[in-house]
Amino acid sequence: MAVQEIHAEMVSSVWKVFVAPGAEVAAGDTLVILESMKMEIPVLTEHAGTVGELHVVEGEVLQEGDLIATVTS
Amino acid sequence: MTTVHAAPAPPAVDPRDPEARLAAFFDPGSLRTLASRDTSGVLAGRGTVHGSPAIAYCTDATVMGGAMGLAGCRHIVDAIDAALRERVPVVGIWHSGGARLAEGVEALHAVGEVFAAMVRASGRIPQVSVVLGPAAGGAAYGPALTDLVVMGPLGRVFVTGPDVVRSVTGEDVDMESLGGPDTHGRRSGVVHVVTDSEQAALDTARQAVDLLAAQGTFSPAEHEPDVDLRALLPENPKRAYDVKPLVAAVLDGPMLELHARWAPNVVTVLGRLAGRTVGVVANNPLRLGGCLDSISAEKAARFVRMCDAFGIPLVVLVDVPGYLPGVGQEWDGVVRRGAKLLHAFAEAVVPRVTLVTRKSYGGAYIAMNARSLGATSVFAWPGAEVAVMGAKAAVGILHRKKLAAALPGEREALHAQLAAEHERIAGGVARAQEIGVVDEVVAPEQTRRRLVAALASAPPGRGAHGNIPL
Repeated sequence: MAVQEIHAEMVSSVWKVFVAPGAEVAAGDTLVILESMKMEIPVLTEHAGTVGELHVVEGEVLQEGDLIATVTS
Repeated sequence: MTTVHAAPAPPAVDPRDPEARLAAFFDPGSLRTLASRDTSGVLAGRGTVHGSPAIAYCTDATVMGGAMGLAGCRHIVDAIDAALRERVPVVGIWHSGGARLAEGVEALHAVGEVFAAMVRASGRIPQVSVVLGPAAGGAAYGPALTDLVVMGPLGRVFVTGPDVVRSVTGEDVDMESLGGPDTHGRRSGVVHVVTDSEQAALDTARQAVDLLAAQGTFSPAEHEPDVDLRALLPENPKRAYDVKPLVAAVLDGPMLELHARWAPNVVTVLGRLAGRTVGVVANNPLRLGGCLDSISAEKAARFVRMCDAFGIPLVVLVDVPGYLPGVGQEWDGVVRRGAKLLHAFAEAVVPRVTLVTRKSYGGAYIAMNARSLGATSVFAWPGAEVAVMGAKAAVGILHRKKLAAALPGEREALHAQLAAEHERIAGGVARAQEIGVVDEVVAPEQTRRRLVAALASAPPGRGAHGNIPL
């Protein structure tokens, strides 16, 4: 069982959240969409699995490196 | 990340056997060794790769863990010099503990001579390294001096191993975290391509050699079908997307992405366009919004210089919101490393064509092979924007006082109106075309054809410089 941690790559705000803990996701699914540099940047899963923790809510401002979610596969 | 299977029955040949590894690299049956097998720790040979001649050397991990002494290093230098004389690519297959301790400073001197030979050949013939086992100390810097490094699942590269690290710094780390595929593919950028098997690593090196050394010529199809490449981008211009499907659609067939997981906001790919090898540099909006930053500028700079050194034309796909702002970036030397990208493009003499797909802003506009840096042609798709920054941000600065003086309820509307005016005067691609920094707006479905025509009609060039691992 591998836990994949998904972190924010840059300072950004959370625009939309698409998943909740317990959701099944496939590789490449969009977890959340961040807003930064006037762009909407989808955050995707690298591997299929189940969303474990979700640490962000819409509107929240994230710093580089902040944990967004974990996906257990 | 690697799957561990049950151990198979012991094979007849030691899997580390250098002759077996060389044979697995070259076309079947084509291997001829350069010197007979000895206890030097190195075996070198010649053969063919997809029918073209190449030379390769392999450290012999069955003798003293592949450690390199005077005689072994001599074999490597001879192999590189032979390749240089014959103008053929040279490939190193690495599994070595580094310099032979027992030989003392003699071994160090010999390893240094290997480095010097690699630098002599740098930029003149393609040099590809395949790391299949631990490659420590001198064996780490060998691959790092070459053009491309491929790593198999058991490859490890480090200057000093876990034991030394532990005794000096107290850090407790295993060989894989210290210098395995994930570390070098994602964090350090030492490795260009990570593979999931030893054979896949050797096959990737074959593909690299073929792309670098058998470049072919542009031979566009008579009736190139229209492909609407715009459909690979989202309709919403603010939405980020993965640029790799676009790169794949621009190229003919299988492509070789370098540094896929390191600085992924810039994509660097070797592939073929209308039959000829080209290099593609593309912003990837999915990562960091496609911003250029410190390491991605350095990654792109090294790639551009490599392509220039081997006469490989460049295609530059631009969709860049700017340089990534931040204290971390400035302290990380984004100015110093960004300067490398400016230098690399401005110095390149290969044909190099830029296509702005959506937007190109600010300093990043210049860095992505702008006309001012000597681009062969600059194309843009309809609706693309070339500007110092987005219109809204620009008027926010230009009309700061006017906006501040506006009534709070009317400020937003004024801002939007000013932005629309600004866009009309300074935005879009019209102004850029007027002053000649964008040559032409091309239809997405004709992009491939136009890129090929622009690259094929430009005088070929090849930079007269080495390929320092920037």
